[in-house]
Amino acid sequence: MRRIALCALALVLSGCGTFSWPGSELPDYAEYTEEPKSYLEICLEHDYLLRVKPWERAVLSRTDMAWVPDPLEGARRGHTFFSKEATMPGGSAGGGGCGCN
Amino acid sequence: MQLGRRLRRGKESAALRALQASALALSGMAQVASADSPIDRVYTSYSFSYYDEDEIEDSKGLPNADRERYSVSTHQAMIAAPLTDRLDFSLEVTHETMSGASPWYTAPDAAGAPIQVLSGPTIEDERNDFLLTTNYYYDNARMGVTTGYSSENDYDAINLSFDGETHFNEKNTTLSGGIGMSYDQIEPTDPELDATRPESEKKQTYFLNVGLAQILNRRSVVQSSVSYAFGTGYLSDPYKKVFRFGGTFFPDERPGDRHAISWLTRYRRHIEEFEATLHLSYQYYIDTWEVSSHTIEVAWYQSYGDNLQITPNVRYYTQNEADMYVGYLPITANGSGEFSSDYRLSTYGALGLGLKGEYTFRTGWFTDIEWTAKLSYERYLSSGDLAFSTPSVEAPGLVSFDVFSVGFNAKF
Repeated sequence: MRRIALCALALVLSGCGTFSWPGSELPDYAEYTEEPKSYLEICLEHDYLLRVKPWERAVLSRTDMAWVPDPLEGARRGHTFFSKEATMPGGSAGGGGCGCN
Repeated sequence: MQLGRRLRRGKESAALRALQASALALSGMAQVASADSPIDRVYTSYSFSYYDEDEIEDSKGLPNADRERYSVSTHQAMIAAPLTDRLDFSLEVTHETMSGASPWYTAPDAAGAPIQVLSGPTIEDERNDFLLTTNYYYDNARMGVTTGYSSENDYDAINLSFDGETHFNEKNTTLSGGIGMSYDQIEPTDPELDATRPESEKKQTYFLNVGLAQILNRRSVVQSSVSYAFGTGYLSDPYKKVFRFGGTFFPDERPGDRHAISWLTRYRRHIEEFEATLHLSYQYYIDTWEVSSHTIEVAWYQSYGDNLQITPNVRYYTQNEADMYVGYLPITANGSGEFSSDYRLSTYGALGLGLKGEYTFRTGWFTDIEWTAKLSYERYLSSGDLAFSTPSVEAPGLVSFDVFSVGFNAKF
């Protein structure tokens, strides 16, 4: 009997045997020191997604980091692929023209 | 966090670098999530390219017929300059001369396999294209308007588009979008020569895209964008026709509407240890003609000191055939419905291999000018064997070509 009582006590102390009303597991709003953060905010705070300051952008502003480093080459290649492949470009990258042949 | 501490320790030197870096960030053609002010230098560029298609293979063409295909010489010139502290513009002019032969129709050989019949090396055409872009910059955004006009002997197109971008998250995230339209008119040459050739037709194309770019850290950035395009009107090719077994022909007949969605993701990473920049991109495309395609591109911009840069690139493309693609029609076909034997609508894959060299130097002739001389070569190979899915019949007209290009840029 004593052993059973000890077991019950251990369960209660460990939290397994505690009954809680629905909703009561949420901490009181007053326990927050600030507004809860959204998952997006938490993700953006991650080390890998450091906010890069304007003076840290020397590498990002390199010409070879641009989406299209050479605009003329980009336009020419875009027009060639538009003329020779079935994919219809979703922008003006293909340039005008028939591309029939 | 370690990086943050290191930066705080080196705050003074970082501050010293700030002026240099922000000047770079605001300069010229760097379109990386920092375009909140007009370009600060005049940028000019010229390029000449020669595009040359391989001759058609003996086994895929008519016996004793000319094997020569198409070639294009392209001159391109561009100027971009600031107008005010809120405004800049760029003008791009292209002049092309095209000549040679083009795939006309496919007909079965003795064994029933389609062979490509070419038009004969009689095509002589020119294309002139003008593209004018103006950008207006707000404190945290950019708005652009582009107008264009393209003219060939048999084809005219005018286009207009608006695009813009805005930055948030301390300018680490950029939302961009664009909308555009093109009105095209075709008046095929010599319509009297072929009953399948129309006299005059029109088409319109509209597109809409939206993209999100995120700076990941000081060396890498990623962008993902979705585009919708809609084509309506005459979307067929007037210079192609479809062979019916027995020797009669029908015009190339494609649906009058085409809706397409493409999803493009691009990644740029600079690797300081190697003095190199990696470009990766992937595009998935699907449309209502049941064409779907994948495009994967990798480029490695390798710098050697401050002057020389060598860039190898690989591009892989694969597509599934459009639902109206046929090699040729059976004798029972009555001509109703849509069909095309254009090899570009067939199932195939293509591999592009390119190499580009750039040499940058400065002169102080009348002002400080930064010159870049460019030389590049690209080889494009297409084949049914390179496709993800096996084609029922490989189109005999699949094209392989070389492109040689030479040019220069100058920044004043």
